[in-house]
Amino acid sequence: MYSVATDQDIQDMARGAVFLGSGGGGDPYVGELYLRRQLAEGRQARIVKAAELSDDAFVISIAGVGAPTVLVEHLVSTNTLLRLLEASQQFYGRKVDALISAEIGGANSMFPLALGARAGIPVIDGDGMGRAFPHLEMTTFSVYGCSACPSVLMDDAGNVVHVQTTTDRIAEDVVRAICASLGSMIYGSFYPMSGKQAKQLAVHDTISHTLEIGRRIRAARESQSDPIRDLLEFLNQPAEQRHARELFSGRIVDVRHETRDGWHWGEALINSGRGDTPEFSIEIQNEYLIARHEGRTVTLVPDLIAVLDAESAEPLTAEMLSYGQRVTVIGYSAAPIMRRAESLKVFGPRMFGINEDFHGVEQLVPESRKRA
Amino acid sequence: MSQAAVQPGPRLGIDVGGTNTDAVVMVGDEVIAAVKRLTTRDVGDGVMNAVAAVLDAAAVRPAALRNVMVGTTQFINAFVQRKHLERVAAVRVSLPKADGIPPMVAWPRDLLEVVGEQCYMVGGGSFYDGKAYAPLGVEELQKAAHEIRKQGIRSIAVTSNFAPVRPDIEQQAAKVLLSVLPDADITLSSEVGGLGLIDRENAALINASLRSLSRNVVSSLQAAFARIGVTAPIYLSQNDGTLISTDYATRFPIVTCSAGPTNSIRGAAFLTKMQDAIVIDIGGTTSDFGFLVRGFPRETATAHLIGGVRTNFRMPDVLSIALGGGTLVRFDGDAPRLGPDSVGYQLGERALVFGGSELTTTDIAVRAGQAAIGDPQRVKHIEQRKVDAVLDVTHRKLEDAIDQMKTNSKPVPVILVGGGHVLVSRPLRGVSAIHRPKYAEVANAVGAAIALVSGRVDKIYDFAALGRDAALEQARQEARSAALAAGAASDSVEVVDVVELPMTHMRTGAVQVKVRAVGRLAAA
Repeated sequence: MYSVATDQDIQDMARGAVFLGSGGGGDPYVGELYLRRQLAEGRQARIVKAAELSDDAFVISIAGVGAPTVLVEHLVSTNTLLRLLEASQQFYGRKVDALISAEIGGANSMFPLALGARAGIPVIDGDGMGRAFPHLEMTTFSVYGCSACPSVLMDDAGNVVHVQTTTDRIAEDVVRAICASLGSMIYGSFYPMSGKQAKQLAVHDTISHTLEIGRRIRAARESQSDPIRDLLEFLNQPAEQRHARELFSGRIVDVRHETRDGWHWGEALINSGRGDTPEFSIEIQNEYLIARHEGRTVTLVPDLIAVLDAESAEPLTAEMLSYGQRVTVIGYSAAPIMRRAESLKVFGPRMFGINEDFHGVEQLVPESRKRA
Repeated sequence: MSQAAVQPGPRLGIDVGGTNTDAVVMVGDEVIAAVKRLTTRDVGDGVMNAVAAVLDAAAVRPAALRNVMVGTTQFINAFVQRKHLERVAAVRVSLPKADGIPPMVAWPRDLLEVVGEQCYMVGGGSFYDGKAYAPLGVEELQKAAHEIRKQGIRSIAVTSNFAPVRPDIEQQAAKVLLSVLPDADITLSSEVGGLGLIDRENAALINASLRSLSRNVVSSLQAAFARIGVTAPIYLSQNDGTLISTDYATRFPIVTCSAGPTNSIRGAAFLTKMQDAIVIDIGGTTSDFGFLVRGFPRETATAHLIGGVRTNFRMPDVLSIALGGGTLVRFDGDAPRLGPDSVGYQLGERALVFGGSELTTTDIAVRAGQAAIGDPQRVKHIEQRKVDAVLDVTHRKLEDAIDQMKTNSKPVPVILVGGGHVLVSRPLRGVSAIHRPKYAEVANAVGAAIALVSGRVDKIYDFAALGRDAALEQARQEARSAALAAGAASDSVEVVDVVELPMTHMRTGAVQVKVRAVGRLAAA
């Protein structure tokens, strides 16, 4: 167990959360400020390993649901989150022993930490995907037997909705419809589970991973060394089944953004500055899904694609991409549990309309590009 | 047709920088006279010196001036240095939302010690579609106002949820506060920022902290002009290169905070008649790179820090590198090392050609025959290969920065302004042509003198309900009206920028639209 004790740790975690967000999950700035506020009031988030919990502990996931553009206006209400926690404990009939994040990438990495700090509940070092995904059912929890429902939703006015559906895929649609009718930003309790389930189903150590990634980037920047090289060295640990590759470095020559059915779709084209033919492309459906180099797939979902500012190695969400930016693209392997056949049936390439079989980044790109 | 186009009388452009105060007199599109004077502790004195000198040189009587345009970095400098700031109160209209992150959460400690931490949160606010989600907390506002009076605070920033969509909620809240505190200075967030409550609230608070300073600076400027006998209306430059009245500047000093670089980019555009180029302002200590797009500076897309506080305030996208005419040159063997330190404004004493003992980039330029300043005999001893090596590094640094500013590989024209332009003698990679306009050294004052007025909209529109075309037309109309309200001549207003950002997780059809309209200043 450890505590998040400094503003710098929080900022590092937020940076790491954007990296693991694979372009999605939203800017964690609001979550970061919320957690810093807890720290300023003397409340530290406590992070525990799932293994430290007893098998019959009661765990839930607390998350914000809504549009990033609405989140930056409505922010977050402590009053709402505490009432949601209370309503959830009543509804489930159990005291909550620990919180877990369903999605470590982006803003939802921070809310459980802040609420945990506020309510004195530890947060499990792990989540349900080790990245960000657009749908509720796209978690290892859901794939391996822990349903998102029954779920408790609440808005800031105190409206409460209990959701019980036959599948998490349907829950996704229902929650989305409720969210839209309550101002497009609500909070919810999902995935009620036991300590034993948390141990078996989570992608582990992802909170610590955000912290380490954020720290590496900052430390390299401060010591004037190459932050991207340092980060790649840290991430690429084949003995631990972690593979990282630098895929491309260049300038964004075109970004298309559009909304289809409430989702952010788009494509970013990058070239290395020689000529105008785009050499590298990234397809966006809320997250970065597939990266291609001269038409050849080099990383695809559920493996992670991170787009970093080429100079500072600051990770960029899909909304931040704009024409003319100089970026470096990194491919990073998802956790082994995310790459199993059962997982790929729920969040593999074909679930996003990509007509390709999944291959790991280490197979697609045996060696990293040489860094100048 | 507006009066300005019929009678183009002389007008005055002034740029009050940290070191120099530059002034130009222009008639129509022509620069009649230009001067450069040192900035003084009391801004008014330096302005008087420069104005008296430039009017003299132009042979124009003070009373004959039609308009006066001033660009100044006073306010941003004050905020960054925490000087002359006043204590403020933050009033946020958002409950039951947003209580988890009160105002000023991530502000630097040294700043909070100056401006205080008086924060109040009350009921009220709107959803993204403009529907109010809670009634305005009138009694809470009255209570806050009494507390603010007790604290002796005069300047208040009011921020409400989705204020860009429902500015009237903030206006109502201000009315309640004014009923208790009739003399308060109130900044509404909807007047200074777009979507993103924290960043917009921060901008409103920064503005609130500068209100009494802005009153002093503006009245000091007005007094200085009055003493000289200038009777023309005075305008200030704002960040996007357009003008605001002294009254507006008194209420919204924050909108002037990056007028300096903007004016130099716009001035460069005007002097060369170019619309698209990279502008490099080479000063004594730094070179500042800006990107000119359709006659205006490209703006930053992301949030940025002002004096340690994050805002989404519109600012020109400027890249600065440590290379100027005063940059020190050292050698490791034959390999030159440039800066990053500079003799800065002491160039006239410390550089070799001026009798000093330090080798600067200006000395190299003189030795290479690129500049005829100071005494060339004093740099004759420098070996040619060392000169070449320094020129190599200088040009490479500029080329790298140009590359960073560019949006594609196509060669772009470059406009050089500022006294340090003599450092450049060779063609630059990726550059189609290098322009060195006359009056380049006072480009920022020219930028002030040619400024336009603008109006902006940043709101969410429902394309599904209105239809895309009708929604965009509504946004355009609102931007045009804002430009007219800012003093534009009605025949000259033109929409120059339309950005659409579709929103996720909402009923399809919600689109954030940003529109900017600009026009020529109507003659007073």
